[in-house]
Amino acid sequence: MSPDSRSKRFFQLRHPVGRRQRFLSAIGIWVVFFAIWVFATSTGMVNELLVPAPQKVFATTYQLFIERGFTGDVLISIGRVLGAFAMACAVAVPLGVLMGSFPAVEAIFAPFVSAWRYLPAPSFIPILLMWFGTGEAPKLALLFIGVIFFLITLIMDHTKNVREELVETALTLGAGRSTVVMKVVFPAVLPDIVVAMRQMLAMAWTYLVIAEIVASTTGIGAMMMRARRFLKTDEILSGIIVIGALGLLFDLAFAALHRWMFPYLRKKR
Amino acid sequence: MDRDSILEIRNVSKTFDLGGGRELLAVQDITFNVERNSICVLLGPSGCGKSTVLRMMAGLETPSAGEVVIGGHAVDGPGRDRGMVFQAYTSFDWLSVRRNVEFGMKINGVPAGERRERAAHFINLVGLGKFADAYPSQLSGGMRQRVAIARTLANDPEVLLMDEPFGALDAETRWLMQELMIDVAEKTSTTMVIVTHDLEEAIFLADKIIFLSSHPGRLKEEIIPAFKGGRRIADKERVVKLDGYGELEARLMRLMREEGRHAE
Repeated sequence: MSPDSRSKRFFQLRHPVGRRQRFLSAIGIWVVFFAIWVFATSTGMVNELLVPAPQKVFATTYQLFIERGFTGDVLISIGRVLGAFAMACAVAVPLGVLMGSFPAVEAIFAPFVSAWRYLPAPSFIPILLMWFGTGEAPKLALLFIGVIFFLITLIMDHTKNVREELVETALTLGAGRSTVVMKVVFPAVLPDIVVAMRQMLAMAWTYLVIAEIVASTTGIGAMMMRARRFLKTDEILSGIIVIGALGLLFDLAFAALHRWMFPYLRKKR
Repeated sequence: MDRDSILEIRNVSKTFDLGGGRELLAVQDITFNVERNSICVLLGPSGCGKSTVLRMMAGLETPSAGEVVIGGHAVDGPGRDRGMVFQAYTSFDWLSVRRNVEFGMKINGVPAGERRERAAHFINLVGLGKFADAYPSQLSGGMRQRVAIARTLANDPEVLLMDEPFGALDAETRWLMQELMIDVAEKTSTTMVIVTHDLEEAIFLADKIIFLSSHPGRLKEEIIPAFKGGRRIADKERVVKLDGYGELEARLMRLMREEGRHAE
């Protein structure tokens, strides 16, 4: 017991909580959640057909992967997200940096990009299906449309926030415009770009599920829609858990990427 | 001291367009010279346009009238012959100290071997020898300014322009940095133009003080701190003890106060 824990309250006003308390609190809320779930299903308070017990959901998840080839669906979904996301980044990163660096470029593209942001991507599904049929193309297109305009805007804004002094320092060291953009503005904004990508990847998952639920025979979303037809609520919930787990996994991967790419942002002191 | 001038400010004025048809006259008809290998300090109360004058020297602002001449030709935009150090930290955080200092030389095509050698020299000159491989985020504010100074000097500019370079530092660090600048000026014979509103700093560093009045910025007086006897003294305590120091400080204080009243 440290001496200052003597008078410490559990609910301290605006006082940071320690690691231990944070960990216990995080576990606690989930314990409560599952406890209610288990209680509700085991006492018959809810219809078992609509709300399967958590242990059943986890057993089904295991089965799906081991016996029913769910891994294939998961890989297809991951491939779609990463493929469409990579294409979106390939356009958004250079364009966003240029728009943030050159007001003239912004003046050209900003009116176009910001208009598209107000068009909900799912509203394109019918026309995408007509244009591209039911293959991979409409799904990739939906994800692409859903992500790219926000990504461009975020990257542009971050680029504008690169401090003027950095640009001016480079200019007075003799750098030309392209050198300033490539050697100063881009590396300065890169950590923020990776953060923006991390945020938008989460959004790409959302659109993936929409695409797969509406029009697909493969992927996690399609599996969930099939399960609905056979009243397999446990499989639907499995799908949700897997999507959540993948989202979390990719988020952690991006966080790790960020730490690995930008060691200089870590404070040693 | 008989020196030829490297930088000439000729009848320079600067008007800023505030939008809506309103204009602000920031600098009005300023003329002075900066002698080669000298330290020239631009001093004045806030709003006197001293930073604007410096930025016009750097080519980061364009004069509305008059011209800035370096080495015989008019300044047209920024260039490596006029390196600038800012008050805000400008270290490139993604590069180590060494790579920061090499930056200017690299973009100007200096071969790698020479680059390394010069970088090492200037890193040692500003006393960061042990930190060559550190990242700027691991350094204190004063050390980061040292990186900026080394980076600018290593790029071999004709003139080193500094805009309140030590304004963000605590008192004792500022004082060490001022002594460092005297040391650097002596060892590298670099011409320096330093903007400050700190009287002590101005007196300690300057071979010549350009005092600007405020709203709009006009040249009020050119002052040579003659009490230093034409020498540079790298020990601040000794300068403060010299006869004439207090007198000059009092005179500058008076000027500052007059201008301050003007502004209100």
